[in-house]
Amino acid sequence: MSNSHLFLKSGFPRAPLQNGLGRYVCQLQRITLKFCKNNGSSRGMRDFIENHLVDFAKENPGIVVYVKPRRHRTPVLVGEYLNGEREWLSCRNSTQDEISKWIDLLKTQNGSSSSLRLRKMWHTDVPSIQGPWTPFMLRSPDALSQKYPSSEASKPLDAPTTATEKLIELFKQQKLEDEADISKKHAK
Amino acid sequence: MAFLGQTMRHLCRQVQVSQRPLYLAGAMRSLSLTPACAQQQNKPKPIVSSTTSALDVAKNEQKECQSICERINQQVAQSEQGRLFAVVHLCGKQFKITPGDIILVEGYWPPTIGDEIRLDKVLLAGARDFTLIGRPILEAGLVTVKATVIEKTLTHTKTHFKKKRRKQYMRINFQRSPNTMIRINSIELAQPVVDDGTEQEESSKRLF
Repeated sequence: MSNSHLFLKSGFPRAPLQNGLGRYVCQLQRITLKFCKNNGSSRGMRDFIENHLVDFAKENPGIVVYVKPRRHRTPVLVGEYLNGEREWLSCRNSTQDEISKWIDLLKTQNGSSSSLRLRKMWHTDVPSIQGPWTPFMLRSPDALSQKYPSSEASKPLDAPTTATEKLIELFKQQKLEDEADISKKHAK
Repeated sequence: MAFLGQTMRHLCRQVQVSQRPLYLAGAMRSLSLTPACAQQQNKPKPIVSSTTSALDVAKNEQKECQSICERINQQVAQSEQGRLFAVVHLCGKQFKITPGDIILVEGYWPPTIGDEIRLDKVLLAGARDFTLIGRPILEAGLVTVKATVIEKTLTHTKTHFKKKRRKQYMRINFQRSPNTMIRINSIELAQPVVDDGTEQEESSKRLF
């Protein structure tokens, strides 16, 4: 079992240099493709270089592409970012498609992401605009002028209404209805 | 403790009040638009069944709504509303956002880096002095939320480890899922706020 995640750094989402506020700047600055000209483990890398590398370089004029042949070593991808980070990827025995996917990942990320566990999916500089909630918010100021001990405040909250109270309520309601009827008749 | 009891009692009283045909609840809340109208619908019929008074009350409510709308529009016209915030629905999650925020979408999501997108499902928008609440979302085009996709990465490597004791069963899997980082560029009130009865019909037509 791997325990590597126990010592993994954790952090919060951040973007370098206020990226995206005015315009978006691609953070990948330089990509180096290292491969061997004869070895079978670099075959996918060689295919990629033959078929797709020129297109990739044309599509992304902001990224410098280096190609570095070296004898009898495994193929490697290295991306260097604006914030100085460097991501190293081994592409041993990987196919052309896999390599193009990894290159796409290197292009779209802001730095090496594998070494950070995110604790939140949200970052803000202004946490509250209407003010943080407090128990006193939108509450009537009666509570401040209350004098203790008060008989009202010391009653239980869930005291059920007694039968007498219910009867009184009913009586009052009836009275109101009668009054309404009388006023209607008068209006007619 | 005594104070806690007091606040709880206030809460209870508020609930009682809202069941009766009184309009205290409006006074308790700061300027909020839609709930006032929603209240009007949800209210049980008043005990005293005199039609004239109910009409008067409805008219008063309408007037209050309109005056609130006017004040909001005035504030927006003079651009005194300050910073706006919104609650948006994005990829099955709700985010409370304000300009300059960063939010992350987990899992596969097609937009790529540098894409400028508009978040349409705005559940709530607000400023220092007012709040617009959608039922469930605000009218399309009322609030425009613009955002830029700034990063698409994979998460750190998560380990899935399973083991059954005494059964010679052990599996270990490693996985990384895609993550998309979005920067919120602006939140703006595009249209003047209008309050009329037609709003309800539109909301029923609209698909969420």
